[in-house]
Amino acid sequence: MTTLDTLPTSTPKRVPLRRRLEDGAGTLATLAVIFFVMFPLVWMVLTAFKTEVDAFSTKVFFQPTLDNFRAIFSEPTSLGSHIWISALVACLTVAITVPLGAAAAYVLARHRFRGRESLSLIILITQFIPAVVVAIPFFTLFRSAGLIDTPIALVIIYLSFTLPYAIWMLRGFFDALPVEVEEASFIDGCNELQTLRLVTFPLVMPGILVSAVFAFISAWNEYFFALILTRQNSLTLPIAIQSISGPRGPEWQQLAAAGLIVMVPIMVMSLFIRKYFVEGITVGAVK
Amino acid sequence: MELPQTAAKSAPPALTSRAGSRKTGQLRNGGLRWALLGPALVVILVTVVYPLASSLITSFRDWRLIYSPTPGAFVGAANYARALTDAGFLNSLRVSGEYMLMSVSLTLLFGLGIALILSKPTPLNIFTRALLIFPFAVAPVLKGYSWRFMLNPDYGVYAKMIGTVIPPLKGYIWLGHEFSALLSIVMSEVWGWAPLFALMFIGALGSIPSETTEAAKVDGATSTQIFFRITLPLLAPVIYIVALLKIISAFKMFDQVAIMTGGGPGDSTQTLYFYVYQVAFRNLDMGYASAVSYILVAIMGLLAFLYVRVLLRDH
Repeated sequence: MTTLDTLPTSTPKRVPLRRRLEDGAGTLATLAVIFFVMFPLVWMVLTAFKTEVDAFSTKVFFQPTLDNFRAIFSEPTSLGSHIWISALVACLTVAITVPLGAAAAYVLARHRFRGRESLSLIILITQFIPAVVVAIPFFTLFRSAGLIDTPIALVIIYLSFTLPYAIWMLRGFFDALPVEVEEASFIDGCNELQTLRLVTFPLVMPGILVSAVFAFISAWNEYFFALILTRQNSLTLPIAIQSISGPRGPEWQQLAAAGLIVMVPIMVMSLFIRKYFVEGITVGAVK
Repeated sequence: MELPQTAAKSAPPALTSRAGSRKTGQLRNGGLRWALLGPALVVILVTVVYPLASSLITSFRDWRLIYSPTPGAFVGAANYARALTDAGFLNSLRVSGEYMLMSVSLTLLFGLGIALILSKPTPLNIFTRALLIFPFAVAPVLKGYSWRFMLNPDYGVYAKMIGTVIPPLKGYIWLGHEFSALLSIVMSEVWGWAPLFALMFIGALGSIPSETTEAAKVDGATSTQIFFRITLPLLAPVIYIVALLKIISAFKMFDQVAIMTGGGPGDSTQTLYFYVYQVAFRNLDMGYASAVSYILVAIMGLLAFLYVRVLLRDH
């Protein structure tokens, strides 16, 4: 471009103008993308701080209020207890998924034994099993075992998708780790368990963290199983916010406030693992 | 002719990273292997294999939970035969198919568009790329609620914007008409997934050497030619993976249907997933629900087969 500009035969003015127009169009297009991506989120945030009257208008400027947050934490919604249930269910799911998944992923990545590849493949394929198929037998089983409406039932069923996913994702992290690191540790006299504890696991810590966040997100955001398996005592947030409605339908301003509470922890977590986010989805977020 | 190869190699980063299959040390301990693998396998056996087997058996039985807490008699393939003539099931199959076509094509289109817009590494574009992970992280339930709210004909901000730009659509009840209700659900999903796809496309676009496009420009290629002859073919492997992911997720659509339309108006947004849910947990007809869900398993199995083949081909 620069060489063209300096050439006496070219028209020096038209080229920059065209470029400026292109840049302008590019900026406009980027702003359109920002609008498309962020608008529903921004609108929800705004609505969370509106009064009922403002929420049912399309006002952008309004007098913000915290009443909605007060309302959802008091009767009849009392979101506080549901936050605890959601957190408990998600944390328990993570606490079981991550150690079990990491151990299994390590073996599948590092040990060579017959059936290793088939086993890995079967674990990948479990990701494709639709949740309804899992839900039907567990619903009848939990019903007869009296486990409906308990956090335990949710944790058990969430493991059906978080564990295979974590194994498959963590295997990728172990595979990416050069095996020489561990061999050096063997030569230094460590046995396999010591090597695992002192060398391998610390090195795949980022992967372990990522799989923990993914397991947490899928348990925290889950709706379908929670809808089937809870009644009133162990309602998780996605189900509990359904009850936020008045005589004329949903109280949108309160719903938006509750939505923020569901959304914010997940947003913060996904920012932390941004580098791995897309890979994580490709690896197995079929769910 | 070496360009397509580089693209295939650099396509989805996660897939190539797993490719390493080097010789491992000989100190691996067989006992420890099963101690480490065992617990996970037991959990998978209990939470995945047991329900799969149990559902399969139930699908050959007559079991209505309203009448009996224990499974009823075996009825052979009667439940499967019933599906073939069940208008509700056939309708849900059609809805799921339509939904899949619409959501896959629109997500790819929006994702590709966003990726191309953000492909130039200006500061504004780089900032915008960071925003792209947000919609996917939003719980599907919240996607459903926010779109339902914004599409309300009386106070919805999207409905008002559309009504201002296209006056005949003023006051249009988006979730009250068959086609637009399905389209609304599609859009809530496109919003969630397209930015994520864009992230993947941007990654792949970055691996296209700029010399290639520069050379094409020097040779006199127009930007349309460059897009269709160079960019698109190089993106093809990523598009393939991403489209499969979306097809799979489309057949699992449930949350937004439940929140936004409840399957209506009529049965126009009754996806396969939602239909099975209704048969199983509203009608409590476990035998028939299991059979229908196994038809869904068969569809997913086919898609899984395709996905695994693509995945292994890249190794």
